[in-house]
Amino acid sequence: MLKINELKASVEEASILKGLNLTINPGEVHAIMGPNGSGKSTLASVLAGREEYEIEGGSVDFDGADLLDMDATERARAGLFLAFQYPVEIPGVSNINFMRAAVNGKREHEGLEPIKGKAFLDMVKEKAQLVDLDGRLRNRSVNEGFSGGEKKRNEIFQMAMLEPKLAILDETDSGLDIDALRIVSEGVNAMRSPERSFLVITHYQRLLDYIVPDFVHVLVDGRIVRSGDKELALELEEKGYDWIKEDIVA
Amino acid sequence: MTWKYPSCILKGDHSVGEFYSVAVTNNAQQADTGTKMIHLGKNTHSTIISKGISAGNSHNSYRGLVQIMPSAANARNFSQCDSLLMTDTSGAHTFPYVEVKNPTAQIEHEATTSKIGEDQIFYCLQRGIDAEQAISLIVNGYAKEVLNQLPMEFAVEAQKLLSISLEGSVG
Repeated sequence: MLKINELKASVEEASILKGLNLTINPGEVHAIMGPNGSGKSTLASVLAGREEYEIEGGSVDFDGADLLDMDATERARAGLFLAFQYPVEIPGVSNINFMRAAVNGKREHEGLEPIKGKAFLDMVKEKAQLVDLDGRLRNRSVNEGFSGGEKKRNEIFQMAMLEPKLAILDETDSGLDIDALRIVSEGVNAMRSPERSFLVITHYQRLLDYIVPDFVHVLVDGRIVRSGDKELALELEEKGYDWIKEDIVA
Repeated sequence: MTWKYPSCILKGDHSVGEFYSVAVTNNAQQADTGTKMIHLGKNTHSTIISKGISAGNSHNSYRGLVQIMPSAANARNFSQCDSLLMTDTSGAHTFPYVEVKNPTAQIEHEATTSKIGEDQIFYCLQRGIDAEQAISLIVNGYAKEVLNQLPMEFAVEAQKLLSISLEGSVG
């Protein structure tokens, strides 16, 4: 599904990713943890195709295609989804119209006609149930005036609408209270399937109690320095990141 | 250079004037547009909603006069002027003129300037919406308050016109 090989990237001449390797097979859930500034969010942005980041080396294969050769729109249409840490507000554009444009973009890529009104609304209704997104939020402007929890639920709703092959969740747990965390996680778990992979970026082990990963990786200073199963996340929670850092030095 | 100031003279008591405008400038265009609301009658109300969009190297100015004459007791005006910059080299300017000759008048003026956000565009791109369409969505959303006032058929035309005027102006 995703094969990252020796990926190096910088922003404004500061190198952030320094040779990162990661392979994600279909159906797997990988968690990336790491201290602040280790490059977690940079990795998400680079994979999604943000232009501020300079790729300085390495390769990324996404489902048989060269990911780094595609622009952000192409990556999205090919099935890569990023749930943003800070979802953006777009005043005057209703959530529904926004999603219709997104769904039709993907359909165009697949050689399909734009979706019919009724089929679209049925789909909205079905997917909105996953994260308890009520009609009021669906018709409001994209994320405008949404609470932190509502924004994150909206991200998962959009993910459900677009049915990606690979979903990257960038600190989706930040700013969520325990109820919102549960709703968001249930939405994600409902979407787990043998064909769909997840890359869950988080700071805290807490999220991984809800979304149980197959693999946990620790990112320090732009490289994955340790990989393991979910026990590694618990160990990190207990001992902190310094333990890993000391370990590397030693 | 474009000058245009369609105006209302509110002569009768209780008369109402409304001005809704979307002005798009691109390339090297210079527009200086707005309205005049001249209140003569008692209890007259006027509303001005102006949305300017500046692309390319253009400059878009709003220039509006709200004049309350001595005879216009209890006149009210609300003005809102928003400007959206599409590029670093475009400009937006707001020149509100207010002349009040009757102390019972109530006048409100609000103005904002914003730059089209790279974060907003990227958010659209990441959802599989292409750059042209992303701009069109964001700009139409911005102008919605005004476009909503138009009759349905005209609103559809206006939306398309807006998209065409901004084609290739991604900055």
